[in-house]
Amino acid sequence: MKLSAAKIILIGCGLGIVYGLLNGFSNAFLLPSAPIISLRPQIALPMIVGIIGHPLAGFITGFTGNVIGDGISGFGFWKFWNWHIANGLMGLIPGLIRYRGITRIATVREFGILQVSIILACGIGVGFAVVMDVLFLHFMIFPSSLHAWILPAFLTDVVNGFVLVPAALVLTGAILITLETRTIMMITALLIIAVLATAGSITWAVLDDLVSHQAMVRNFYIAAIVSVLLLVIGFLASIVFVRKMTDPLTKITRAAESVEKGNYDLETLGGISGRNDELGRLARVFEQMAGKVLEREKKLQKQVEELQIKIDREKQIADVAEIVETEYFRSLKEKARKFRSS
Amino acid sequence: MPKIIAIHSFRGGTGKSNTTANLACLLAQKGQRVGIVDTDIQSPGIHVLFNLDPREISCSLNDFLWGKCEIESAAYDVSKIIEPQTDGKLFLIPSSIRTGDIARVLHYGYDINLLKEGYQKLILQLSLDYLFIDTHPGLNEETLMSIAIADILLIILRPDQQDYQGTAVTVEVSRQLEVPGMFLIVNKVPDVFAHEELAVKVASTYQCEVAGVLPHADEMMTLASSGIFSMQYPDHAVSREMDKIIQRITG
Repeated sequence: MKLSAAKIILIGCGLGIVYGLLNGFSNAFLLPSAPIISLRPQIALPMIVGIIGHPLAGFITGFTGNVIGDGISGFGFWKFWNWHIANGLMGLIPGLIRYRGITRIATVREFGILQVSIILACGIGVGFAVVMDVLFLHFMIFPSSLHAWILPAFLTDVVNGFVLVPAALVLTGAILITLETRTIMMITALLIIAVLATAGSITWAVLDDLVSHQAMVRNFYIAAIVSVLLLVIGFLASIVFVRKMTDPLTKITRAAESVEKGNYDLETLGGISGRNDELGRLARVFEQMAGKVLEREKKLQKQVEELQIKIDREKQIADVAEIVETEYFRSLKEKARKFRSS
Repeated sequence: MPKIIAIHSFRGGTGKSNTTANLACLLAQKGQRVGIVDTDIQSPGIHVLFNLDPREISCSLNDFLWGKCEIESAAYDVSKIIEPQTDGKLFLIPSSIRTGDIARVLHYGYDINLLKEGYQKLILQLSLDYLFIDTHPGLNEETLMSIAIADILLIILRPDQQDYQGTAVTVEVSRQLEVPGMFLIVNKVPDVFAHEELAVKVASTYQCEVAGVLPHADEMMTLASSGIFSMQYPDHAVSREMDKIIQRITG
């Protein structure tokens, strides 16, 4: 989408107000064992604005939204200014994928870049806030802030972004439903359910007055590490898995296109026809079919190349003479001449 | 000036009658008054394309040649086949399909002067703009007569060796008869042929203008000689090429 500066600011501020109200509302629902950072699905909003609208609009949404949210919640409008910028960065960074040439997401690769951009946005955003705090503000106390603020903020934002951003992009058509995106999204959904279940069971299973604070903190770190590992390894593995399925299809399609254009470049099928699965069979059938078409085409081509208009001139002269050298023909010619001159 | 257009092919099966009927219909569709004479007395067939019931034919070309009727009473108005209907008119002068009539004419032959007068009368009485003459394949005396009378001769051939040879003879004989306008039409050309190259090659071989190259059409086959193709499939490549042929031969 191409937007003027005025529109970028308008969209950024408008949706920033929405984001701010949602922030104010959700600050009431706090994560267990992470009392200050709230569970906030609305973090997806600046990201979506950044991707669909413009990176700067995403930044403005995140920034103004956090200002308003903090204000409503009584944290003070400017006290946590580092988090305002952090939220802005979370809207800005995913929007930058357009500068990698991605305007519509149709392949596993593009979907992967989108998800990585969400992780980066959360990492850089939260990282920025922490660095600013350490340098200037000094609100945080280490190491407790790490499990009280930083990790929860990062993890919940990543999970929310992973689930909600693709969902919104599918609805707006920015993600095309292809075989590749459909499969990777299905696997990502399963992955996230697995991550949430694991993290949840570790974190909440021991919520008990009898459990010491220390044990809770330890559990939280275990949950965080397991979640991150599951998410990263799972996502990378699913990309490999999906591409194993969709790459051959892309190659077969390319081969089909080359046949359509008349090039018969079937080299891309080489690796696939050796496979033992359905795709291997498809590739083999296609190869045979294309071979037959090519054979037929060559035969016809040969016929056309051999197109020669051969005329036996001697025979022609003899045949013509047989007709024109008759008395009948001479008189006919005479009469025809008379008709035409009359 | 009304024009007599003879259509000929050296061999049978080139789609001669079909092309004649289509060109005549397209001209009538453009508001012209058009007549078609079926001089293929040995094997008449064009009436089938116009759904003309043989029992309705009380007077035919044969009867005129035998002096049994006037030529204009052998003309049947088949304009209802034109779609969409225009001011144009289409008349068909059929040959008799009665075997006795056929044998008689072939045995005694007929005179070119009679034929010429008949055509002139027909053109005058029906105020025709174009008179098409569908001829018998080969170069027998009756066919030579039609060629001799014609203002324009259309020679139809298929891209096949025997047609190439026969067409060379027809072209040369027609040159000697000093036909004012002569065009070739290549018919039933498969898609694999480069049509324009074929046209150039044919034109240079015979030193004669090619009015059109008509593609082979499966739809034409399924129509199987019932109805006029260009009226039923006006947007088909064959119909569009026929339109071009008309522009070339009348332009």
